[in-house]
Amino acid sequence: MSVRGPHAERAPGWESLARAALRPRRVAEDPGVLRRLLAFELEGAPYAVPVERVREIVRLRPITPIPRTPPDVRGVISLRGEIVLVIDARQRLQLPQAPPTRSSRIIVVQNDEGRVAGLLVDGVNAVLRVAEDAFRLTPPGEPGAVAALCRCGDRFVSVLDLERMLDVDPDV
Amino acid sequence: MARRRSRSGRTSKTEQEFVSEAEEIIERMRGGLADLEDQRAANDEVDPEVVNRLFRSAHSLKALAGLFGLDPIRHLAHQLEEILDALRLGRVSLESPAISLIAEAVRVFATLLEAVGDAEAIEVAAAPVAGLSEQIEAAVRAARSGPEVVEALDVDPEVLRTLTEYEEHRLQESLRHGRHIVLVDATFEIDSFEAGLTALSAAVRSQGELISTLPAPDDGSDSRIRFSLLSASSLAADALAGRIDVPGASVRSAMRRAAPRAPAAATPVEGADGLPSLQSISETVRVDIRKLDELMNLVGELVIQRGALGDLITTLQSHHATAWIANDFTRVHKELNRKLKDLQTAVIDVRMVPLHQIFEKVSRVVRGLRRELGKDVRLEVRGADTELDKLLVEELVDPLMHVVRNALDHAIEAPAERVARGKPPQGRIGIDAFQRGNHVVIAVSDDGTGIDTQGLRARAEARGLVAADETLSERDVLELIFAPGISTRLGVTDTSGRGVGMDVVRTNLTALGGVVDVKSTPGSGTTISMTLPITLAIVQSLIVCVDEQRFAIPLGSVLETLLVEPREIQRSRDRELLDLRGEALPLRRLSAEFGLGTPPPEAKLFAVVVGIGDLHMGLLVDRLEGQQDTVIKPIQGPIAAIRGIAGATEIGDREPVLVLDVAALVEDPQRRREAPCP
Amino acid sequence: MRRILIVEDSPTMRALLTSALEELGTPVKITEAESGFEALRLLPRESFDLIVTDINMPDINGLELVSFVKSNAAYRSIPLVIVSTERSERDRDKGLGLGADAYLVKPFEPETLRQVAEDLLAASREG
Repeated sequence: MSVRGPHAERAPGWESLARAALRPRRVAEDPGVLRRLLAFELEGAPYAVPVERVREIVRLRPITPIPRTPPDVRGVISLRGEIVLVIDARQRLQLPQAPPTRSSRIIVVQNDEGRVAGLLVDGVNAVLRVAEDAFRLTPPGEPGAVAALCRCGDRFVSVLDLERMLDVDPDV
Repeated sequence: MARRRSRSGRTSKTEQEFVSEAEEIIERMRGGLADLEDQRAANDEVDPEVVNRLFRSAHSLKALAGLFGLDPIRHLAHQLEEILDALRLGRVSLESPAISLIAEAVRVFATLLEAVGDAEAIEVAAAPVAGLSEQIEAAVRAARSGPEVVEALDVDPEVLRTLTEYEEHRLQESLRHGRHIVLVDATFEIDSFEAGLTALSAAVRSQGELISTLPAPDDGSDSRIRFSLLSASSLAADALAGRIDVPGASVRSAMRRAAPRAPAAATPVEGADGLPSLQSISETVRVDIRKLDELMNLVGELVIQRGALGDLITTLQSHHATAWIANDFTRVHKELNRKLKDLQTAVIDVRMVPLHQIFEKVSRVVRGLRRELGKDVRLEVRGADTELDKLLVEELVDPLMHVVRNALDHAIEAPAERVARGKPPQGRIGIDAFQRGNHVVIAVSDDGTGIDTQGLRARAEARGLVAADETLSERDVLELIFAPGISTRLGVTDTSGRGVGMDVVRTNLTALGGVVDVKSTPGSGTTISMTLPITLAIVQSLIVCVDEQRFAIPLGSVLETLLVEPREIQRSRDRELLDLRGEALPLRRLSAEFGLGTPPPEAKLFAVVVGIGDLHMGLLVDRLEGQQDTVIKPIQGPIAAIRGIAGATEIGDREPVLVLDVAALVEDPQRRREAPCP
Repeated sequence: MRRILIVEDSPTMRALLTSALEELGTPVKITEAESGFEALRLLPRESFDLIVTDINMPDINGLELVSFVKSNAAYRSIPLVIVSTERSERDRDKGLGLGADAYLVKPFEPETLRQVAEDLLAASREG
């Protein structure tokens, strides 16, 4: 069996592979493909999360508050036998508080490791198809949980960083 | 648990992953070494499978260390692999210095692992590697009398094609001992062959050695697979066929010629008698624990539906026109209730396993450590047939191992010291398991030095956990061993220290809804008791109400409930107490605990008296709402464990109800080091 | 999309083999089997373009898997690479004798594995 010499440019050694293998996998980004975003509304402004991270969208249902948690943790809901934590997107993004309405929804999302959480939003709009080149870096002054801005027609949609959105400080 | 390290800041996540996998390997090696020691002490034939497993462990460790660029570990693992390879291929005997060199290598691995992530510490720990490697190399070289001559085997050459060098060696050894080499054939459905094959392998092993398992496509059908188990036995094929009572299995000789080279009867063979009932093998099914979880979840859903049915009956009863239906309905509902309870009990029963499995593991480790630490200890295990939920048993291994190692390492004195103190030279460690109500208690006791409470307190003061002028009861001082950062003795050794203390044991037990208690008498011994619920599955809960929010309290820890008038509540410093039949019962208001609204001061309250182990407490709530079957589920989402909340449950409607973690609530005051009772 | 079956009992090795093969020039779908038994169960259910197997496993050894694959008309054409830490020449000869297409002795560079895999996948596509 003949073995060719290693290519310098794409030859990570076992050691670097070992380190990479233990990090959570990221979905490879294909620049040629349109990205799909689920758009929703908060305080009249458009926001979005990547569709592949959305497990389902449910109507408002009773939320049981949990003591000893920060105010942006609304509580837990029951979802076909699962108990799922719900985070109030308005509070998390430091927007003015408002009581839920008939159009309020809970977007159930899944993180890299398959863990599930709910995001309480004012209302869900549509699935947008966006080319990679429509993404803009976040200008300074945006909340940390906004990963990018995305030009859609004549509006900029704030694309949320789900890891930051769902991060819960344990000891508050 | 031993994997948690105090200086995690210095190690990267990946290195920790490596360290924990490597620690598991070293743990297995310790077990294997202890087995070898025992076999040697008993003058038994060395089990080749034990040596082979040790070889595989060294092999894995070498590969892992190589990947992570940890040269000292890789180097030593390589030498260890060499000597174990020589040992399993029969080139080196256990009588040579082999076994002590192997033991030494395992010890050095432990210190090396301890140092991962700290360049200086690695250098110190690696100091003995070169010398030890040379010694091992010399031992292998001295023993190697040239490569083993492969004799022409009388075995069917077709069989030999797929054997590894080691398997060939085992075959040769078996022939040398005059054993018959046979092939046991059986055909299975390809989708589900493992259960049948496992039973067949066990049957073959009970009659001799299973050398290799050879799969082959079935001639007749794509959906079936044929296995030939190459085995060595003192019985010839015909006789063996009578002993292997597995349906569909057939036995044939694997020899090229019919007769073995030596008379079979001359050599005793391991496992020839003492044959376990094959009947029981074929009537037992191995089940994946996840399938049991699924089953349990289904039962849980049924229980919830039953709750909803109960609500419907109540509605029917409240209307005149439908009240008569409600009566018939109630009868059916009651019957359904009874059957559902039976089903629950049956499913929970299936999940129960006796504790003897983990107790065996513990005694193996004790045997290994005994030698390593130069201590003479007798391990007495009682109640090994006590049963516990399979999942809990698995979670119990680490804490139990830690407590037993602590006892062996720190508490039991060296033989001479014991004699000087008027004790028998042999120390004693007892493990007692028994059921108490809905809980199982596992108590680890020793007759060693006992805990030095003065020293303990001094260390707590030095760490600022206790003020110098603070009055503490004896019991409060003992509780300090569970405070983070306090180890039970000054010395931190390789065996149990590792910067991990009893605080981790307590954290682990609390996460399982259990508690851990300590009793100790200076000079004569210590007892650590771990109390765990029997199962985490379906539990009866008491539903209580605070500020119009409902909470569930598992009934297993509820002793009684009391109606409390506000004037009955006594104050002592910042604590509230209740005189319960002459005893002071500490009270805790759930409303204050959880930051909820309080009822008007003149309102009557209810106290739910809860107790786990020896700790009792009254939880004050606004209202009681009856009992319910509850399935406790974890809260999904990016949230750390919430102190005092075990999870949530659904009751009839869709609104989840939080389930209190009584163990955490009861233990809280000690952990927070509140003022002691006067 | 080429489908690769990795048979390896060590979780770390398995993850590493997977990540090495994920970076082939061609898109791949990787299936991991934790044991020889699991591989035997997977073979009739999915079709594979390449098998990478360890030799030293607790249930059946890699040689037996090679023999099983190469003696079965349905799988015979799947190229197979043995990846082993064994330095035993006898095991290597046997493996290749049973029809394995390559035998790599650890430690080898991930690039070596990728080259071998690419060669075998290209050959099987042409054939």
